[in-house]
Amino acid sequence: MMSARAFSILLAALAIASLSGCASMGVEPWERDLHAREDMQPNQRDAAIDDHIYFSKEASSGGRGFAGGGCGCN
Amino acid sequence: MQLKRMAIGATLANATCGLLGALPAAPVAAQEVSDWEIDTSLLYYAEDNDRVRDASLMTSARRVFDEDRFFDLSLTVDSLTGATPSGAVPSSQAQTFTSPSGKDSYVIEPGATPLDGSFLDTRIALSGNWNQSLGDSMRWSAGLSASHEYDYLHIGVNGRIERDFNKRNTTVYLGAAYGQDDISPVGGTPIGLAPMLEVDNQSSKLRDDSKSVVDLLVGATQVLTRRSVIEVAYSYGLSDGYLNDPYKFLSVVDRGTGLPVAGPVGSGLNLYLYESRPDSRTKQSLFAEWRYALDRDSLALNYRIMNDDWDVTSQTIDARYHWNFTPNSYLEPHIRYYTQSAADFYRTVLFDDEALPAFASADYRLADLDAYTAGLKYGRRTAHGEFSVRLEYYHQAGDPSPDASVGDLANHDLLPPMSAVIAQFGYKFRF
Repeated sequence: MMSARAFSILLAALAIASLSGCASMGVEPWERDLHAREDMQPNQRDAAIDDHIYFSKEASSGGRGFAGGGCGCN
Repeated sequence: MQLKRMAIGATLANATCGLLGALPAAPVAAQEVSDWEIDTSLLYYAEDNDRVRDASLMTSARRVFDEDRFFDLSLTVDSLTGATPSGAVPSSQAQTFTSPSGKDSYVIEPGATPLDGSFLDTRIALSGNWNQSLGDSMRWSAGLSASHEYDYLHIGVNGRIERDFNKRNTTVYLGAAYGQDDISPVGGTPIGLAPMLEVDNQSSKLRDDSKSVVDLLVGATQVLTRRSVIEVAYSYGLSDGYLNDPYKFLSVVDRGTGLPVAGPVGSGLNLYLYESRPDSRTKQSLFAEWRYALDRDSLALNYRIMNDDWDVTSQTIDARYHWNFTPNSYLEPHIRYYTQSAADFYRTVLFDDEALPAFASADYRLADLDAYTAGLKYGRRTAHGEFSVRLEYYHQAGDPSPDASVGDLANHDLLPPMSAVIAQFGYKFRF
């Protein structure tokens, strides 16, 4: 499987690729009507519930935020 | 006349960055800001074959002081019942185990998967987060969290800062969390790879133990076009201390017959050894999400890859389609696929003719496994809030260690698949 080194290289490549293009992207303030829609915001509650379930059933957790506390023994 | 406070700035910030992680997203476009926002959910989770069931109530309240400051408080109460695999393998012979308390024993019938049915738990979790702007383009938050189970206490702190660039089309954030957990299992903390002993003999167990967890998070959100936004986050986690599951153990079997071998003299038990994991774990993960707005609906796709120094690599793909079929009602189909490789010390069984490894665990959650989830959510918006119902089906299947199916073990399903249903009812409102 993927080694820690390979993972780090993948990460660095993605970070550089994603950040270098940022300055020329985006929209003007009056073009934000679609982004402002509620369904375009992440659903924090559903994500928190899912994270807690999968934290207890799988070997991975978090990703976009912090894993919640608890034993996860069951 | 009452002045209506507008939150255009906050809304733009949300549209740009989505405020993931410690900072929850605020609602829709320029509108009157409510002083209070309450979000409450009731969750029911049930696995098949009488395994784990969880009923959970989550309530969170946001007190908005002005467009620059708000406070989030959340309370979760979980009630868990059912049984969970102990790590021992099935056998064509009946097997007797000592319960975690050491006060009684239970028998697993021939052919049945050994489950520990003795747990019954209530978990209470509380967290509070203060969120504030820092000038026009920065925001920070700081919070405390605590959770309590009868055998577990977690206390944590977290902080986060974020800054907008490029007309708020780019937001970069940085977060950190620290947790300190105290573990006091029923009957004591087993010594790694010590044998299970007979009732009233707890000499394989010690007193309480603890662990600490540090998490670091760095990420960025980028508006790509009028319709699309992407977020990328990298997280690094370091756990240090007691990382075993105190209720899990491994069977030691004869390599020829596949049958359990005899345990300590006088115990009357077969040989079962409590699991032993390394006392540190370093994890790193990379997460990316792409959200795309259609004229009426929207789509979110995300991907996560995680790697740790236990040699687990996992990948997760998640997709949701938000179908606004009327102005006030929506349906949201959801699918998720997850795959992980086994930890390097995962062992379905140990053999009696081999030297004891330094670390070993038969916890199915550290095995090579795949899982998928399929679900549907229905939501209806009202004047001051929203009702929702979500139903999901979860299925996971793992692979035993390649060398495990010897003798009698070839007759049994060593890692039976598990399915669960998840039902969630939500109501949120503002006033």
